[in-house]
Amino acid sequence: MVKKEKARVKTSSPLVKALLVLFMLCMAFFILGPLAWLGVHAFVTNWTYPNLTPDGWTWHWWTRVLDDSALEGAIRNSLIISPIVVLCSMVICLPAAYAAGRMTYAGRKTFLIGMFAANSFPKIGLFASIATLYYALNLMGTVVGVIIIQLLGTIIYMTWIPAAAFAAVPRNLEEAARDAGASKFRVFRTITLRMAMPGILVAIVMSFLASFDEAQGTYLVGAPAIFTMPTEMYSLVQNYPIQVAAVFSLLLAFPSVLLIGLARKHIVGGQLAEGFQIK
Amino acid sequence: MTADKTVVVTEGLEAKSASRLSVLGFFMALPPMLLVICFVGAPILIAFTFSLGWTEGPNRVVSIIGQEIHKKDHWWGTFSAYQDVFHDSRFPGDLRTTLLVTTISTTMVLVMALGIGIYQRMIGGRLASIMTTLTLVPLFVPVVIASWAIHTFYAGDGFMRTIFSHFGIEFPTLTSTSTAIAIGTIWTSLPFAILMVTSGLQSVPDALIETAQDAGAGFFRIIRTVLIPLALTPIVIAGTFTAIGIMGSFTIPLFLGPNQPTMLGVEISNFFGAYNRPQQSIVMAFVVFTAASGIALVYIWANVRSAKQSGRI
Repeated sequence: MVKKEKARVKTSSPLVKALLVLFMLCMAFFILGPLAWLGVHAFVTNWTYPNLTPDGWTWHWWTRVLDDSALEGAIRNSLIISPIVVLCSMVICLPAAYAAGRMTYAGRKTFLIGMFAANSFPKIGLFASIATLYYALNLMGTVVGVIIIQLLGTIIYMTWIPAAAFAAVPRNLEEAARDAGASKFRVFRTITLRMAMPGILVAIVMSFLASFDEAQGTYLVGAPAIFTMPTEMYSLVQNYPIQVAAVFSLLLAFPSVLLIGLARKHIVGGQLAEGFQIK
Repeated sequence: MTADKTVVVTEGLEAKSASRLSVLGFFMALPPMLLVICFVGAPILIAFTFSLGWTEGPNRVVSIIGQEIHKKDHWWGTFSAYQDVFHDSRFPGDLRTTLLVTTISTTMVLVMALGIGIYQRMIGGRLASIMTTLTLVPLFVPVVIASWAIHTFYAGDGFMRTIFSHFGIEFPTLTSTSTAIAIGTIWTSLPFAILMVTSGLQSVPDALIETAQDAGAGFFRIIRTVLIPLALTPIVIAGTFTAIGIMGSFTIPLFLGPNQPTMLGVEISNFFGAYNRPQQSIVMAFVVFTAASGIALVYIWANVRSAKQSGRI
């Protein structure tokens, strides 16, 4: 991408600069402070208030988490369920995203707005409503029930963001390729899909995170039969010392941090923001 | 001239192929729609009949399990469950907390997002991009972890009190107060709002800002009369999404808020699970839904407005 020089105001006043740096430090403290504080607790024996340093350092909590079979089961569940959810979501939503981005059909706008309206019902209320339906359908405490619940949270990402990405592919490029003799499928594979890929990638990352982090619905529908990592956190923070929760948090945050590297450029590049405007 | 002609021709082609494909398009769009209809639309409708006292059909099992279930006494149902909730002594406090936290947090998030967005657009530089990246961190942190991290940070033996006690200042314990809920919701809502607002501000054409500068408009005047009006749609979208998300939040008030009064999201869960009063729980969900619908209308208005401006309607 070509870097463009934007119209800007020059600030040379050192006072303004100092204020901006101060503001940034405050933001850094506000955002990173709690994470750092919790992260450090994964490695300390105990921390007596109001000492500035912990009583001692240890790896003990890590072995404790990794040896706990309930926690291990939760980690396994999460790592199995989330990829399944993302795959289902792609199969169900990507054709729809293509249709929403490229075609006009009856009820297209209703579809996009309907997706949004569904999103404005409070999640926890929706889960309570779904639970009443699940009792009738015998889906309470089943893996299928959990997958459906998590799937619902991914739809909005998997339809809107790729839809915007598909819509942004220039038609004349495709037509040029067709004129040059490429088959329809080849045009789709080498041009349309390729150009929409950053958007699809962002959708996959956001869907994975949405599924991986989903706690309220999974807890309501899955517990006590199925625990995933985030729902395990609910019982962890009540029943275990803070250090165990800290270790578990670091484990839970690991996939997310990994995914930042994958998609940061595209997310900051506007793929996410683009997807949330109905066109 | 030739360029204009090409556009017209391609648009004509598009329109033709679009009408031909409309049936296919409809069927391609069907699967997620069916999923939403079955597992969002239907449950909400069924839940609505349940809140009105329809206890048969899909509501039968939950009516047997739940306590204090009101059965319909008119053909359309009964408002008894709604009366239960509105006369509950805890409800006004919960509703007030919910609306207050939503208003304050959304305002704060928008102000911060606008501040950072305008800073990046008008001044820019390395500091600005570091700041934008920094504010994206919460996007990748699961809400459960974020809530717990903030809980420990502002707790009685947390970092804030530890540091301040060394300067001889008694920092208040924020954990288990409404302030902590507000901090938590701002923390988690920031990245999305900043992404929306920043991308909206970045898309304002340079020429407009330069023209305004040449005409002698000052920094704040450009912001007020050029940047904000032109980026209003993404700003409104950011605001509505943030507000709706905060209004229905559960994990943050559960970990960070006081037991009473708390936000309705926690109360919905309590009534459904711990108190086993599912009907009252559903009623509260509809109260939140009603408030959120009002916000959703603003969102739809903003989208229609932007579609009209770009001539798509």
